[in-house]
Amino acid sequence: MPTEELGPLPAGRHGYSREQVAHHQRERLIAGLAAAVADKGYAAVTLSDIVRHAKVSRRVFYANFESKEQCFLAAFEVVVEHLRELVGVAVEGIDEWPRQAIAATRAVLAFLAAEPDLARLCLVESRAAGPAVTARLNEAVGELAPLLARGRAKRPEGARLPTSTEDSTIGALVSLAHRKVAAGEANRLESLLPDCAELALLPYLGPAEAARLARAAA
Amino acid sequence: MRALPGKASRQPPGPEPVSRDAADADQRRRILTATAELIAEQGYQETTMEEIVRRAKVGYATFYKHYADREAAFLALLDAATDRTVGRVEDAYKREEGPWADRVGAALGVLFEDVAAHPAVARAVLVEAVAAGPEAAAKHEAALKRLAPLLRPGRELNPRQAELPESLEETLAGGIVWVLGQRLIAGEADKLRGLLPETLEFVLRPYMGEDEAAREAGEVADAISA
Repeated sequence: MPTEELGPLPAGRHGYSREQVAHHQRERLIAGLAAAVADKGYAAVTLSDIVRHAKVSRRVFYANFESKEQCFLAAFEVVVEHLRELVGVAVEGIDEWPRQAIAATRAVLAFLAAEPDLARLCLVESRAAGPAVTARLNEAVGELAPLLARGRAKRPEGARLPTSTEDSTIGALVSLAHRKVAAGEANRLESLLPDCAELALLPYLGPAEAARLARAAA
Repeated sequence: MRALPGKASRQPPGPEPVSRDAADADQRRRILTATAELIAEQGYQETTMEEIVRRAKVGYATFYKHYADREAAFLALLDAATDRTVGRVEDAYKREEGPWADRVGAALGVLFEDVAAHPAVARAVLVEAVAAGPEAAAKHEAALKRLAPLLRPGRELNPRQAELPESLEETLAGGIVWVLGQRLIAGEADKLRGLLPETLEFVLRPYMGEDEAAREAGEVADAISA
């Protein structure tokens, strides 16, 4: 979301409706926050930084958001929504479950690798943005659980698997990605695909098959 | 001054005298407890010095005698909590004389117990530290890394050990921390005990395979309900 390319909104009569301008302003603020956070980290970002990057006034900020945290939450939601769409597209037309899970993992890693600033915003800075954002991150990541849980159908009938399996697996995957991003290597996230795939498939297919498919995915 | 005969052993009136060291230790304990509680309640960024000294019931001068600033107090909290908990976890692992899986079970049991007993401190270390600046994040990372050597011997049990991902131990430790963090964020530290067998199974599975891991977890579950 590079705001620099947008330039300031044209002043005076520009043929945009009031709603369109308001929508643009909100988007600019979200992009402005993302740029400011990438610049100096959430904790150090001030309102002035956000409006400077967004090229709008403080009054406009307060017309859209109550606080820096609320603006962050909005930015986070934009990324989550985008990832949700990408995952939807990635699994479209794939019926077979392990391939579906691998395709989804690949799509998420590819997007975050291509947008290292947003990867950092979602996986690292979100932890600094207060309890509400922390809770939201957990919720958003939890959306991946049903995608993994489909693997349960691959297991022998009656074989039990702890209910928290998806949770702990997702936790392991997030931790893996988080450490890569925190180390400043977000652009290399795609290299994690085999390890991620192996971990994600292991509870459902067993270690040997999970490893085989993971290697094939690389 | 020479004590009068017969009065030498009598205590002066009022509270027992407290040594300077003990008073200092008590102040530090109060400051760190207050820091942990406030951070668990509202996050690190939102927590101010003013709130810390008020909650700890100490003056600013006392605070500055022990810590340079809020971050120094937080980092000291991370060090103290990590040393205590990881130290106990490592001890439990060493003390258990059974096979590797039993040792991991004992270690994980102590970890879950400690986190459930100190949810505010645990939340500060496991959740908030990640984004509270580079030094705090590094301490979180270091704490996580200390769990890896306890898991690594499990590779011996896996016939395909050479193929296991290099990052497996740290990733599993990350999974454990995630499960703990989730429950802390949800304010459900009391549910951790029930999650111990499942989490143990999750950790053992890549090394021992499904059946063995489930059997070990079942034993732990039986021990808990007994």
